[in-house]
Amino acid sequence: MLQNYIKIALRNIFRNKVFSFINIIGLSIGLACCMLIFLFTKDELSFNQFHEKKENIYQLTCKIIEKNGKADNYGIASMIQGPTFKQEIPEIEACVRINQRDYIVKKGNETFYEYASWVDDNFFSVFSFPLIKGNPKTVLKELNSVVITEEIAEKYFGKADPIGKTLELEINDKFEFFVVSGLAKNSPENSSIKFKILLPFKYDEAKNFDDHWLSLTYPTYFVLNPKVNLKSVVAKMAKVYASKAGKEIVEERKHGFDATFIYRIQPFTTMHLNTEIANIEQASNPIYSYILSGIALFILMIACINFINLTVAQSIRRGKEIGIRKVVGGQRGQLIGQFLGESFVVCLIAFSLAILIAELALPFFNEMANKRLEIGYLFDYKLVIGYLILFILTVFAAGFYPALVLSSFDPLKILYNRFRFSGKNYLSKGLVVLQFSLATFMIIITFFIYKQLNFLTHKDLGYNDKNLMVLSVGQNINFKLLEIFEHELSKVPGISHVAPRQNGFWETNAKANGKDISVSFEHIDENYLPTLQIPLVAGRNFSKEFPSDSTNSVLVNEAFVKEAGWKDSGEGKMIDFFNGRDTKLQIVGVVKDYHFGSLREKIGPQIFTSQPDRPYGRFLMRMDTQNKPKTIKAIEKIYQKLSPYRPFKYDFMDDLNQKNYEAEDRWKQIITLGAILTIFISFIGLFGLTMLSIKQRTKEIGVRKVLGASVFQISSLLSKNYVGLVLIAFIFAIPLAWFTTSKWLENFAYRIDISWQIFAFSTVLITVIALLTVSYQSIRAALANPVESLRTE
Amino acid sequence: MLKITSLEKIYRTEDIETVALNKISVEVKSGEFVAIMGPSGCGKSTLLNIVGLLDDADTGSFKFNNEEVISYNERKRADLRKRNIGFVFQSFNLIDELTVYENVELPLLYLGIDADERKKRVEAVLEKVQIMHRRNHFPQQLSGGQQQRCAVARAVVNNPKLILADEPTGNLDSKNGNEVMELLTDLNSNGTTVVMVTHSEHDARYAHRIIRMLDGQVIMENVLS
Repeated sequence: MLQNYIKIALRNIFRNKVFSFINIIGLSIGLACCMLIFLFTKDELSFNQFHEKKENIYQLTCKIIEKNGKADNYGIASMIQGPTFKQEIPEIEACVRINQRDYIVKKGNETFYEYASWVDDNFFSVFSFPLIKGNPKTVLKELNSVVITEEIAEKYFGKADPIGKTLELEINDKFEFFVVSGLAKNSPENSSIKFKILLPFKYDEAKNFDDHWLSLTYPTYFVLNPKVNLKSVVAKMAKVYASKAGKEIVEERKHGFDATFIYRIQPFTTMHLNTEIANIEQASNPIYSYILSGIALFILMIACINFINLTVAQSIRRGKEIGIRKVVGGQRGQLIGQFLGESFVVCLIAFSLAILIAELALPFFNEMANKRLEIGYLFDYKLVIGYLILFILTVFAAGFYPALVLSSFDPLKILYNRFRFSGKNYLSKGLVVLQFSLATFMIIITFFIYKQLNFLTHKDLGYNDKNLMVLSVGQNINFKLLEIFEHELSKVPGISHVAPRQNGFWETNAKANGKDISVSFEHIDENYLPTLQIPLVAGRNFSKEFPSDSTNSVLVNEAFVKEAGWKDSGEGKMIDFFNGRDTKLQIVGVVKDYHFGSLREKIGPQIFTSQPDRPYGRFLMRMDTQNKPKTIKAIEKIYQKLSPYRPFKYDFMDDLNQKNYEAEDRWKQIITLGAILTIFISFIGLFGLTMLSIKQRTKEIGVRKVLGASVFQISSLLSKNYVGLVLIAFIFAIPLAWFTTSKWLENFAYRIDISWQIFAFSTVLITVIALLTVSYQSIRAALANPVESLRTE
Repeated sequence: MLKITSLEKIYRTEDIETVALNKISVEVKSGEFVAIMGPSGCGKSTLLNIVGLLDDADTGSFKFNNEEVISYNERKRADLRKRNIGFVFQSFNLIDELTVYENVELPLLYLGIDADERKKRVEAVLEKVQIMHRRNHFPQQLSGGQQQRCAVARAVVNNPKLILADEPTGNLDSKNGNEVMELLTDLNSNGTTVVMVTHSEHDARYAHRIIRMLDGQVIMENVLS
């Protein structure tokens, strides 16, 4: 019997090539999307799971609540918190601190930037990163030891055994020697901690010891006793903090820094999916998994709807077979089994195709989702179980309703040609409406994402970020050299302005008009504003003509004046600025607000000083558009002359700004693809349904033509039902898309308006495609010779 | 074999009621060949469908081999049908997606007969109706006569006690029609009971008895020599 079912299923597939194509291609795309999402989700959930002590490892976190109530969570601690907590709290069995940044590493005459990590010497005892060579317990004991990954070993030592060889790292303007004591496997992709070069923390600690409690820098991890009560550990940490940091807190309060620090711990295994805590590398918002799963399910659902609608719509053709099977003794249960079996065969073909599609699409998907998933993951046993469940669910989702409908046919009506599959058929119509609601929803969302991203990347930032080169020269560079740098760079033809600035972004506190204000702090000189083309709204720029500028003057932005609550421009007002000094500074100029951060955030208060004893770390250079490569070459020459051991690395400001929106850009691509697939599968379904409907109305079309109906009348008669359903879909899609878009746009301080034009354009677009899909066949049917149609019938 | 007493069947729509069978009583003995005749709409096909357990009666009694079957549920009807009854329709009703062989094999599949036995029986019956040479063809590739012979083969492959034929020659030319009638007569002479609905006096003459119907009632019975 099974053989008979399979035979019929296969023959049906080959006989009805168009419908089989629609079903199989839709289902295989839907299943392939689901497979990729499974892979993605599995990867997300597998982060940090490979550590043997994963259940007992915790990350130290700190919640800082400022006086104004603003609270932020950080996944970093100060240098001494980890060891102090370990010493004072017996439940903490081990502590590992990590400090990571780029260092310059020498290879012969060449230098490279490498990401290096200072870690406590118990790093390999706490974490299960496999060592190829070296003893995990002792490998970082020596002050000058270094553990490198296979990748670094190959880069610096080729095929030779790296153990005992030396690696030169630039530390404080000097190359220091480290002896390779261990060789580690490259850190896995699904690890929150990634490393290439591991150095002993105690080396860094000895050179840069810092016993402050309130300056947070280092990710810190604890191994806790398995039987520990986490609440009691947190309570003990609060006690230790209060007793050890008390003096420092009092001292900082005097300087106006009055924030509350609350120390907590979070399980190591959950940190990857916690984006509420800053400073966790590669932390991923689980919302991405939900959105991706949603899109994949949309696509699969639409494909299942096609299967259901087409199968039910083909029921008249299958009716005779059902009737005969019932007459010769087939029972309803057997017929349900047969139709489910057919759904199984179609899904099996689609499933096999889906594996192929998933494999081919994986590199593209990796790029979009910023992952490095491998096809081998597909065959993980847990995923295979997942796929089987997905497969069976799809078989039932697609096959069950048609099986119920088809098996319920009355054989008498079918065999005596009294059968018409009529009725209101609300389910089928409802499913078409659902399909097109989803397709319309996706297309509206896509257009809004495009518009918002376009807005972000083209909005006037308040300064000119085009042709603005950013060149980092290192923070600790000596002042004399910096002066030479600035002087030499300003002489390069093709550079109109050069401005130094500190490296990185600093945030601190100031007091103005009796208010504590959190500020972004820029250490600049008088060239900064002209170079970036930022206008002043009041007062003047820093100037060499005012020597006191370096010690007594400050520039602020408009947001600062607003936050301070001054009614006038603010020029001439005094502020307390606490960045390490208790000095009062006078506002000499107010800078027009410009977007120094991402457009996700509102422009906050900003302060500019020009204190000569603070180091600069980077130069901003305004370049002419012509001869850019030549200018860059000239800059490189100067750079190599003045900083011979430093790799020449530069960026352009507009590229850096663009990078702010990489995540949005990736999502734009994913949603666009999702929308295209949703629309494609919906429309091929509509195409199939129209085709069937026209086939079933061949006689009617012929009769109408004979009676004098025009081509237009017939084609509109045939088109109006389905186009009507598409129009109904808009009623559901538009409010849903409006709600989702407005929620998403809330993430941006600067955003587009939700304009009706996008809704109008999307609906017109969908209507036009629907009309084209439906009317192509309707017109063809209307143009056919009525004699032919009547003869066919 | 069949005993129908006071059987009534009324078709109801929103506006009208049509009495298809009006307290009809008919008896068919085992091994008989009965032809039912009458004008269109007289209820002969309805009667055949009730006898074939494809349709329900509203009131009355229907005994199949002395067992009351009128109250049977769908499962029991299907079971009785597949073991005892073969159908032949005017429009052949072969499954287009199956070959001649597979169409004939179908009732045996529902009876759960094993593959070797099925093969033997299907080949034997195909030989008997003389379409063995078309066994791997699909219905669309056959002439009307061949299609009906295939339908007859399907009807008899499970050795039913009863064959119900609804205008079996209606779509055939006289030559093919005669061949099909010969087949039915041959089956009847081997012990199978045949009940046939027909408009054709010629075909009816193959039967032992003709039941004439009008307006859902039996108006006359002729026993043929």
